[in-house]
Amino acid sequence: MQASAIECRGLTKQYGDVRAVNELTLNVADGSFFGLLGPNGSGKTTTIHMLSTLARPTVGSIRVAGYDVLKQPVQARACIGLVFQESALDRSLTVAENLHFAGALYGLDATTVEQRLAELLDLFDLESKREVRVAALSGGMRRALDIARGVLHRPRVLFLDEPTIGLDIINRRAIWRFISRLRQEHGMSVLLTTHYLEEAEGCDEVAFLRHGQLIGQGQPSDLIRALGHYILEIETDQPDYYIEQLSSELGTPVQEDERLLFAIQDEDFQFGALQQRLQHEVRALQLRKPDLNDVYIWRNQPTGKGEAA
Amino acid sequence: MIARATRAIIGRELTRMLRQRGRLLSAMIRPLIWLLVIGGGVGAMLEQHGSGDYQQFLVPGLLCMVLLFGAMLASLSLVYDKESGVMRMLVIAPFSHYWIILARTVSAAIAGLVQVLLLLAILAILGYLSLPIQFALLALGLVLTALLCAAFGMLIAVFSKSLDNFAVIMNFIIFPVFFLSGALYPLEHLPLWLKSITLINPFTYGVDLLKHALISNEAGALAPEFSIVQGIFIQIGCIIAALFVACLRFTQAPVMESLASILSCRRQ
Repeated sequence: MQASAIECRGLTKQYGDVRAVNELTLNVADGSFFGLLGPNGSGKTTTIHMLSTLARPTVGSIRVAGYDVLKQPVQARACIGLVFQESALDRSLTVAENLHFAGALYGLDATTVEQRLAELLDLFDLESKREVRVAALSGGMRRALDIARGVLHRPRVLFLDEPTIGLDIINRRAIWRFISRLRQEHGMSVLLTTHYLEEAEGCDEVAFLRHGQLIGQGQPSDLIRALGHYILEIETDQPDYYIEQLSSELGTPVQEDERLLFAIQDEDFQFGALQQRLQHEVRALQLRKPDLNDVYIWRNQPTGKGEAA
Repeated sequence: MIARATRAIIGRELTRMLRQRGRLLSAMIRPLIWLLVIGGGVGAMLEQHGSGDYQQFLVPGLLCMVLLFGAMLASLSLVYDKESGVMRMLVIAPFSHYWIILARTVSAAIAGLVQVLLLLAILAILGYLSLPIQFALLALGLVLTALLCAAFGMLIAVFSKSLDNFAVIMNFIIFPVFFLSGALYPLEHLPLWLKSITLINPFTYGVDLLKHALISNEAGALAPEFSIVQGIFIQIGCIIAALFVACLRFTQAPVMESLASILSCRRQ
């Protein structure tokens, strides 16, 4: 069995009457890429705070990189890289000064920092910005630099809290390429939270959080496969009518206002026949492959399907 | 390892200070205005009554004023840092959280000391430093007063949610502390209520220590009023007490958690 990068048991965080995280048990294998997914307020950030020693759990135990974060927070922090949603850079300092400052906080000597700095700037195409103040960088560059800052000390475990929020697609891709390279080169484990579920499809494992509780966990491909072969989407003015009409043959759909989603288990589903039957009655009809978004939508149903996974 | 981190924190403070030339310039000009304008005017008036050299009397207080503005404001910037990137770097760095307070206190004190050395040089050139100067005592007095100002700035900073109204801090902390310290006039003949306030103002003892160092040959009303030992021990006691409370407060779990959530909040 592989050692764990992160191991937490019965993790609970109570703020007054609110239980932000409720008996969360997670196991992130060493070197793996783990996605913690859920809407705003589902407890993702609180979980990251507890895992990274910034918040004390009300109940529960946590080990990160082998250290008990409650008893050895300093040692644990030495093995952790954390990229916050907001930039962790000093805007009044230059790019190089920021990385030298960050490196020194981890006890790295100037030569080591200089070497890694050159490497990181090269990778992100920021060499020409070396002596530029962070305030003058674009959002994408700042984010890239922030991630470079987070991995400067070669952490064993990297926490990424919504790392690509507000970035354009080109920068997002560059950042993912970089992270996957780091994982390959240094065997770094990554725990990611994100809204963009398609980004989490590259994860080895994902966990869905809702109201601080785990509502599903597994490999993305397994979770998607377990949901069904296809997703049938119907848009209509009379959702209730079609639920009644179609439930017997297609199963109970998920309803989002005027949109119905059916998970189709049958690989040889005859879409043509259905299309002919419905095309003049409904606003839109679509058959497509399921993705993580669908898994997430189904998991969020009170009578959730796919619990078998 | 912690030494390297502390050096980096000090280096950052100095870099920022040197980049803000305007602030540095005004930090030099402020005491010079006091010295030349107030000191010149009041000094001329006092001279008619045969009192000592008022401008010389002002020098220790003005050095302390530079420390008060320099070191305390540098410490107070922690409040701004609570929402900034630097604090994000610091809270996840591999040292105990109280070290953030201690290192920031030392860096703020050093920022104040650099400014005071600059002012000393200017005063020496303008001929406002007169011998004999007790250099060891001067150095000790400056270091202690710088640490005192930085430590109290830190104490205010860890209890403040925001410094939205900077004028409030200026008017209700910095100016009263300066005015009620013996920097501008001797304390001996003050009314009791005023004197009581000056006696519990720890800054008073920093000013007095520098009077010992710089104007020990001043006679009569303008002479230092407390003993050197008193000055040193009261200051050290206040520094330790302020830092102890500041560290305790900053490292409390709920305080750190609310800080962490401020740092993680996405500004809209």
